[in-house]
Parts: sequence; C-alpha cells; structure tokens
Amino acid sequence: MSHTATAIDTRRTDGASDGGRRLHALLVEFETPSAIKEAARRIRDAGFVRWDTHTPFPVHGIDEQMGIQRTKLPLLVFACGAVGCLTGLVLQWWTNASNVDLPAALNFIRGYPFQVSGKPFWSLPANIPVIFELTVLFSAFGAVFGMLVLNDLPKHYNPLFRSQRFRRVTDDRFFLCVETADPSYDPQHTPALLRSLGGTAVEEVYDEPTPPAPTRIVNRVLVVLLCLALIPPAIIAKARVSRSDSPRIHLIQDMDNQEKFKTQRAYPLFADQRVMRLPVAGAVARGELGDDAHFERGIVGNGYAEQFPAHRPEVRLTAEFLQRGHDKYGVYCAPCHGFDGSGQGRINQRAIELEEPAWVAAAALTDAERRSRPVGHLFNTITNGIRTMGPYGDRISPEDRWAIVAYVRALQRAHYPRAGDLAAVENIGPRERDGGE
Amino acid sequence: MQHVIDISSDRLRLEEGRWQPLARRLQTAGLGAIVVALAIGAFGLESLLRAYVMNLCYYVSIALGALFFVLLQHLTRAGWSVVVRRLAELFTTAFPLLALLAAPAVLLILTGGLLGFPAAVHQVYPWTDAQYVAKEPLLQAKAPYLNAGFFAVRLAVYFAAWVGLSAWLLSRSLEQDRTGDPAITRGLGKWSAPAMYLFALTLTFFAFDVIMSLAPSWYSTIFGVYYFAGAMLSFCALLALTVHLLQRAGYMVRAVSVEHMHDVGKLVFAFVVFWSYIAFSQYMLIWYGNIPEETAWYAVRQTGGWIALSLLLLFGHFMLPFLMLISRAPKRRLQVLAGLACYVLVIHWLDIYYLVMPPYYFKLSDPGTAPFDLLGLLLAGLLAVGMGALLAGYVLRRMAMHPLIPERDPRLTESLAFTNI
Repeated sequence: MSHTATAIDTRRTDGASDGGRRLHALLVEFETPSAIKEAARRIRDAGFVRWDTHTPFPVHGIDEQMGIQRTKLPLLVFACGAVGCLTGLVLQWWTNASNVDLPAALNFIRGYPFQVSGKPFWSLPANIPVIFELTVLFSAFGAVFGMLVLNDLPKHYNPLFRSQRFRRVTDDRFFLCVETADPSYDPQHTPALLRSLGGTAVEEVYDEPTPPAPTRIVNRVLVVLLCLALIPPAIIAKARVSRSDSPRIHLIQDMDNQEKFKTQRAYPLFADQRVMRLPVAGAVARGELGDDAHFERGIVGNGYAEQFPAHRPEVRLTAEFLQRGHDKYGVYCAPCHGFDGSGQGRINQRAIELEEPAWVAAAALTDAERRSRPVGHLFNTITNGIRTMGPYGDRISPEDRWAIVAYVRALQRAHYPRAGDLAAVENIGPRERDGGE
Repeated sequence: MQHVIDISSDRLRLEEGRWQPLARRLQTAGLGAIVVALAIGAFGLESLLRAYVMNLCYYVSIALGALFFVLLQHLTRAGWSVVVRRLAELFTTAFPLLALLAAPAVLLILTGGLLGFPAAVHQVYPWTDAQYVAKEPLLQAKAPYLNAGFFAVRLAVYFAAWVGLSAWLLSRSLEQDRTGDPAITRGLGKWSAPAMYLFALTLTFFAFDVIMSLAPSWYSTIFGVYYFAGAMLSFCALLALTVHLLQRAGYMVRAVSVEHMHDVGKLVFAFVVFWSYIAFSQYMLIWYGNIPEETAWYAVRQTGGWIALSLLLLFGHFMLPFLMLISRAPKRRLQVLAGLACYVLVIHWLDIYYLVMPPYYFKLSDPGTAPFDLLGLLLAGLLAVGMGALLAGYVLRRMAMHPLIPERDPRLTESLAFTNI
C-alpha cells in the first residue's frame, strides 16, 4: 500500500480531448472507511448538496457524517399498509356484504353475498386474514418501490461509470464525488479543497454533452417484448366477447386428460363396450334388501305406519336415539325448517328476503297438520321429498331417518306439551337439564 | 473498523452493601403480601388457588422468556446483545424460587387437597375430580396423561430442566468472566441447540399442563406458542425496564447504549405482533370450526364481566402497543420505552389473568353464571405484588453477586460498538 502524498491525477477520464464534453464531477479516492468518513464530514460542513460517497460495503455512521436526513420511507410504508388494510376491509364488505342499489349497467361490479358454513355475510374474524395479507402486501410494495423511487432507481447510466479508477468501488476503494452542478462548486477553490481531504487521488470525470441513450437494439427488444406482452390480454379480451365451439385450451394436459376411464365412456374389452359395469342381475347391496316396508318405507299394510318400527333393534326410543335425531336434524333439516321446527331456517329466510319466485316456504313442522301426521308419513316425506323439498332417502340411512322423525315428534311435544310433561322435566338432574356446559 | 468504546469508567457491579437492605425489604414485603393474600383467600379457596396459579404462570413466563433469550443469543452467535445478556442470565436465577413457589400448588393437587381444599382443587382442575371424570368420556380417555401423579412428575421435570439449564448457562458465563476462554462461547453455542429443543418441549407442556388443563375438555395445539409469545414479550419489556432503572442508578451507562435498547424495543414490538398473530390464529380456527367443546372456552370469556377483559386484550395487548411502538422515536427514548415496558408487563399479566381466572363450568342456558370474580382479582393483585417483590428481592441479591455484563466475552467489543443502520 502506497501512502505517498496525494497524487493529483488530472488525466482525462478516457484520455480523449474535452472538446464538446463537460466536466461532470470531481472524484476523490480513499483507502479506508475512516478516511472517507472524515472527508465526508468536511464536505458536509463546506455546504455542498450535490455530492455523494460510494463504498464497497455499508459504512456505519457515514449517514451522520454526510448529514443525510433519515429516510421518509417508513411513513410511506405505513401509509401503504393503512391503504392495504382499508382495501381488504372494503373489498370484502363490497363483495360479500354490501347491498347497494346500482344501475343495471354497473351490475358487473356488484357484490355477490356468498354464505360459507353458516357464518354471517359480514364477520370480521373471517375477514381479518385477507385484511392482514393485503396490509403486508401493500407495505412490502411500498417498501420496495418506494425505496427505488426515493433512490432514483433504476438508473441505466451514471457518468462515474466512465472512470477506470471508479471500478474499484466494488472491491476495496472508497470514493467521494462532488458534482460541478453543485451551487457551491467553484472551479478554483473546490479542487483545492478536495486535494486537501487526504485521498489517494483526485480525478476529473467528464460526461458526454448529451447523456447516451440506450442503444437502438435495446429499444427494439423492449418494443417487441411490449407487443408480445399485449397478446395474452388481447386473447382474453376477445374471448370475453366471442363464442367458440372448440374445446377450451388445456394448459395442464395431464390434469385435464388423465390416463383413466371416465364414467359413460366406451371400453373395448367388454362385449357391451361399457366402462361402467352393472351389478350381476338380481344383486342387492348389503342392508338394502327392502323387505321391511315398515322400517324402510314407513308403510304398514296400505297406509302410513302409526308406530315406530319397534321390532328393529336400531330403532329404540332412548335419549341417545333422540340425540342422534337432534344431530341429523341439525345437519339436514334445520337449514330450511329452522332449529326449532318453525320453518324459519336460514335458507328459508334468505330466499324470502331475496323474493325468490320459485321458493315454496318450508313447512312449520310444529303446526297442527304436521302434528297429526302418522310417523310413517313424516318418514316418507324425508325419504322421497315433497313439493320442492328433495328426497333424502339416498343420503340418510333409515334408522337415522327414524331418529329424525322421533326428534320432530319431540319438537312438536316441546311446543305443545301435555299435562304432566313438566313434572317429568322436574325429575331430570340439573346438569342434563342445562343441556351442556 | 469499529472504534472501541471505553467502559473502564462504567459501574458494572451492584455494591452488595448498598443493595442487600433493599433486597431484604423487598423479600419481607413480598412474604407479607403473600401471607395477607393467604389469609383473605381462606374466604374463597377456589379464587385463591386460581390467583396463585395465575401469578405463578406469570412470573414463570418472564423467567422462561429470559432463558429463551440467552439460548437464542448463543444459538445465533449474536454480537449486539452481549451487554444485556448477563441481565437475562440473572433473571433466570429466579427458577429455584419459582420451583419452591410451585411446590405447594403441586402438592395440593397431588394430595387431592388438604384442609378442606378438595372442592377448590376440583373446581380449578376438574380432572382431579374422580366423580366428574367418571361422567366425561373425553376425560377418561385423557386420564393416563392427566392424573395427579404424572402431573406432579412432569412439573418436577420441567422445573428441574429450567433450574439446570439456567444454572449451567450462568455458571459457564461467569467462568468466562474469570478465564476469558473463547472456547466457552463456542461450547455454549453448540449446546444451546439441543437445549432449545428441551426448552420448547418443557414450555409447551408446562402451558398445556398448568393452564390448558384448567379446562380439561378444551384443547388448542397452538397454546404453547401463545404462552411463549407472551413470555418473550414480557421478558423484553422487563429487560428494557431493568436497564432503565440501573442506568438511572448510575450503572452500565456507557456499556448499554440507545442502540441496544432500540433493538430490545424492536423485540417488544415484534412480540406484540407475534402474540396477536398467534392469539388470532387460535381464535379464528375455533370460531370457524364452531365445535362446542372448543368454542365453550371462548364463550366463557365473552360473557359477564369477562367480555370487557377480552376486548381490553384486543385493544390493549395489540392495537395500542402496536401503534405506540411502531415508530422509531419511542424505541430510542429510554424513558418512553421504560414506560411502555411497564404497560406491557401489566397487559401481559392481564393476558395470563384472562387465561387462568375464568371458571371452567359454564352453562350456555344461563351465561350470567360466569360472573367476574372480584375476590379473585383482589387476591391475584395481592399475590402479584407479593410474588413479584419476593422474586425481585431474590434476583436482586444474585445481581449484586456478579458483574452486570459478561466482562470477558469475545464479542463484547463488537457489542459495545453496535449501531443500527
């Protein structure tokens, strides 16, 4: 390491004459962080504004020495985060909970209330994750793009790149550079001041009269890329306004076209060429013999059964059986008929609120008509459906259907108790009576 | 190149003669408050037991935060924190006394209650009640784990692990004060990795055993993390407060700079956010799943006087400290930071209160039966002061025995010169 007296190097940046070029800046080279920190303090005190230091690594404390004020970035990030937070809040309110009357032309931006697992349309606990994610996303964008903007980046050209000496800034040299455009720059005094800073060299950096623009090939590539980038949105825009008979585009082939036989397809191995094999003629699935009309269809003789099929071991009118009915009722029946059997379930309420023309109001299971129905009739309604209510025979097993019937009977009894019922309740222990802790 | 900070003029030792009387007074006052609490608690044994368990969990959490901090600094080979690490090591000397304080509660559960306590023990820890367990299939299934004998064994293991770990960490660090051997730092770094596993398991199961089993049919797998978040938060707050008090008394003024406290403030802020994240994660899953045995735990806390406490935590444990600590200025003003630290310590106490104090038995049909327990609040407050003073005196004695910073740690120079960019 040569620590000779500062060698003043007034060599032109690339040896060319300065005809047409203008002096851009003076560059001072240092060998240690402490040297450049000391120099930075002196330049700061001399009142320069258009100057900078360049170091191979972050030098602790150089911001203070240069008199750089703290960045405004945190405020920007906070503002972006707050905007993200509100965006998440308003977005979810608008899409799922708003009920704003809009002109028909604006229908495409209307919200669509979508009920998920019985939660209210507007419920903060469900909304917080999205609000949180958008807050983080917007803050991160604010931090990254705000940093780029505040630092004047990206910048494809800087006159300092013309200096051979400056290349060592990424390795082991520290540079201080004062631009001639600085109001305090003085052609006589400033070079003298810089020479006195104790750097290993001072260099004049010249710039072209007009800063070089990106070369034509770069421009052309950019134009081509821009045009190419317009193709996908153009295709999407076209697809939105036109119809096509051809199958849709398969982006992921092996998800769409799997190596397997699908239902209803042909399969040459079998004589009838069906993929789906029929059961052997006369086969009956286990437990579906259908020989017990009372248990499986609720029918005794030619009419509906008046009694529960007590001959079946599955059907026992115990507390557990009623609890089973209560659970199944909550799953299948309560959405329309309501938990209390009043017919005021959530779906019913919603359909009436939306004035659905095809909706047939769910029956009140506790009214006089249903109270007078034989149990077999109720069982038949669950099994085969009635009016707009679909059949549930394929979804609920017979014993569970009987459990539901039993529970409906209990609901009816709860709404219209008979004399002596209260005395029976008094005999039940307090913990069971409360129905849960 | 870092310029060396000269700390030769710094006072880095508490003079025993000056601080012993204060420590003795603190311990006497603490014992007095505990005795008063026990006397008043005779009128409500259930409230007393809950308040005692609650405060035990509170002070254990702070000591666990300190233990985690020390392990973390060794594990990550942190340079910045060397000047405050000794304080954390000294906080963990509270573990033997905490074990002693835990012993009566554990004995009470083990013996099934003495002196008319069984009813109270059964109310606080329903799984100790054989009659109740006989009615609950879920508790019968848990019985091989959740029984008094195994409970006592587990707690003994946890406290043994913590006492052992903290004693080992401090003794190695003090050994380095004498010898200046850099191999000790390397060894601590190496062994803190398995120690971290031990810490994570013991902390998680301590939270499960002591707090979650208060509502034995309720479970949340994230619960240990929840307790940990509060532990680390309250430790960082106590660290900031302690440094402030020590510096006001004229100690370690040059050794610990505003840069270090800025970082401690960042940790407080980070763990405020982490606690909220975990607390909400637990709440949201249970709210969304909407399964009665899980939601009941929250249902108790959303009725009667408890809803006020729940909302206080939402605003006071998250929003307020979040907004107060988000900017740089309060973290770099030690007086402001110390004030915020006091606030955080109080709100974390309320968080543990919220976990432990509400009753388990809850009737959906009659929410009014889970009233806010004023006697419990009084006892909890008394025991907080009592145990706090007792522990503070105990730790102060140990602080007066050793230097306040690891004087010959190989990373001390780096730590002293630390600055935030």
